[in-house]
Amino acid sequence: MTASLTQRRVRILNQICWTLALCVVAIPFVFPFLWMVSSGFKSAAEIFGSPSLVPREWQWRNFVDVFNHQPFARQYFNSLYIAVIVTGLTLVLSSLAGYALARMRFAGAALVGLFLVSALMVPEEVTIIPNFFMMRWAGLVDTHWPLILLPTFGPHGIMATFLMRQFFLALPKELEDAGKMDGLSRLGVWWSIALPMSRPALAAVAIITFLNSWNLFLEPLIFVSSLEKFTLPLALSNFTDPYGMPLWHLQLAATSLAVVPILVVYIIAQRQIIESFALSGVKG
Amino acid sequence: MTSLTLSNVKKHFGKVDVIRGVDLSVEDGEFVVFVGPSGCGKSTLLRMISGLEDISSGELRIGHRIVNETPPARRGVAMVFQSYALYPHLNVRDNMGFGLKVRKVPAGERARRVGEAARTLKLEPLLDRFPRELSGGQRQRVAIGRAIVGNPEVFLFDEPLSNLDAELRVHMRSEIAALHKRLGNTMIYVTHDQIEAMTLADKIVVLREGLVEQVGTPRELYERPGNLFVAQFIGSPKMNILPIDAAAGAWPGRPAGAAHVGMRPEDLKLTDPGAGLIGGKVLLSEYTGASSLLHVELPGGEVFLVGCEGCAIDAGTAVGLTIAPDRLHFFDDAGRRAS
Repeated sequence: MTASLTQRRVRILNQICWTLALCVVAIPFVFPFLWMVSSGFKSAAEIFGSPSLVPREWQWRNFVDVFNHQPFARQYFNSLYIAVIVTGLTLVLSSLAGYALARMRFAGAALVGLFLVSALMVPEEVTIIPNFFMMRWAGLVDTHWPLILLPTFGPHGIMATFLMRQFFLALPKELEDAGKMDGLSRLGVWWSIALPMSRPALAAVAIITFLNSWNLFLEPLIFVSSLEKFTLPLALSNFTDPYGMPLWHLQLAATSLAVVPILVVYIIAQRQIIESFALSGVKG
Repeated sequence: MTSLTLSNVKKHFGKVDVIRGVDLSVEDGEFVVFVGPSGCGKSTLLRMISGLEDISSGELRIGHRIVNETPPARRGVAMVFQSYALYPHLNVRDNMGFGLKVRKVPAGERARRVGEAARTLKLEPLLDRFPRELSGGQRQRVAIGRAIVGNPEVFLFDEPLSNLDAELRVHMRSEIAALHKRLGNTMIYVTHDQIEAMTLADKIVVLREGLVEQVGTPRELYERPGNLFVAQFIGSPKMNILPIDAAAGAWPGRPAGAAHVGMRPEDLKLTDPGAGLIGGKVLLSEYTGASSLLHVELPGGEVFLVGCEGCAIDAGTAVGLTIAPDRLHFFDDAGRRAS
């Protein structure tokens, strides 16, 4: 009885120590976030004037001014709808292509794989200029098309394809045989058996793709020039005075608003995000 | 119920010939078992019948239809897989009804057929469970149930019991036999387990390296094996084979051209040293409960297995071996049965 009580105390103490240690380790990561949110509520002068995280005077106006400074609601919507379309397209294409690479024997399959891997090795910054010329030739500059097409068919889409391929490779082949015996076509097997079984992988791809599209900066910078076509990352860098100096209070208020969808996604799908990094072998 | 005919059926993967020309006919309602060592092509042959593997050449008929190019679902066959292959995201009811749903069978009819199969296999209390919530035997029954609901003409079983423990295997074996009796469908069953083959089959097909070695009833295969391979493959422990030149003494009933003589361990009887047809020295005695298995070394160095009920013989003891003349099996130089 006494032994078990002592054991329990040790366990609780152990847990407290761990929690405290993790809190300390978390400070460098959490502090900038808290600073951002608190600065969003401060006046421009107070941000660098006071080190306190609690504003002297809560400037709720910042969150209204954000929308007056530029068409922020429109830009917010742009980011949201582009991210949703890119995520949907990537899910469909990467699962189809991943399935084909994992399960179908076709001439040149190895070559296609090699071609895709080689595309992963070229940094996006290197391909941005040829991509710009291609989009200009297609008349898609200053539209949202490059922001949808490039992430879907670019390195990110390829990464998603490989992630799906790895998952499909691990699915038992006998299940697909059973599907064929039940009368499913190849596409039917993909839709009715492979996809429902790969929900964790699909969730991972969806989350990573959404985050990637949401945070995309270089492509909007290069391809979009009209203010109302800006996406959030570009819009955030645009909270400046007429001399180009940042309006910190507006920028930080806008940034606080910009992270809301990401936080929602993260809170809902925390487990899948962690699994997704484990699945893709990418360290977060 | 329907018959099935294979005419010179071949299969090659690239340059590798896996099935090298199989002729076989399976009658209405027959229970046929394919046996053979690993890599003999028995599972490939079954998959060719199911339609999961293409037929490289030859002709496969189910009933009167040539089905070489017919997709699996339209052949009127159902398959039970070794790993059960139940869809993990569907419950038992949906697993069993999935094929009917794909074939657009109305929901009412689907529920009726699933209910009927569940009753037959005593699966009713499990219908709302998922595969992960079932034991191995229950999963196996669901896999069989999934095959039954499609009302197939031919059932195909690909080593369906090999993932079960020994006790459950015996139980499921009897369930499959009872199912065959009740449904009366043609069934083709692949196994490497001889006991399964002997107990279930109306007809056994012994395969080796993509060719049929012998087709016959379990009794025919055991009592009149067509060649040395079948003689040694069917029966456990396997038949003892002795080259006739090396054996001393005369062999009663030896036909002309016989080069090997075979004796089943259970047919051999112990006698006093020097009194039997052959003699030797006990190397090892394995006690298995009801009987013992003796390893007897002959003067020529060959080791014979001898079944011996209720005997306790120490290693090193000299023994004589005898056998009823009609229990001797003779084979010619090419390994074929010599009569």
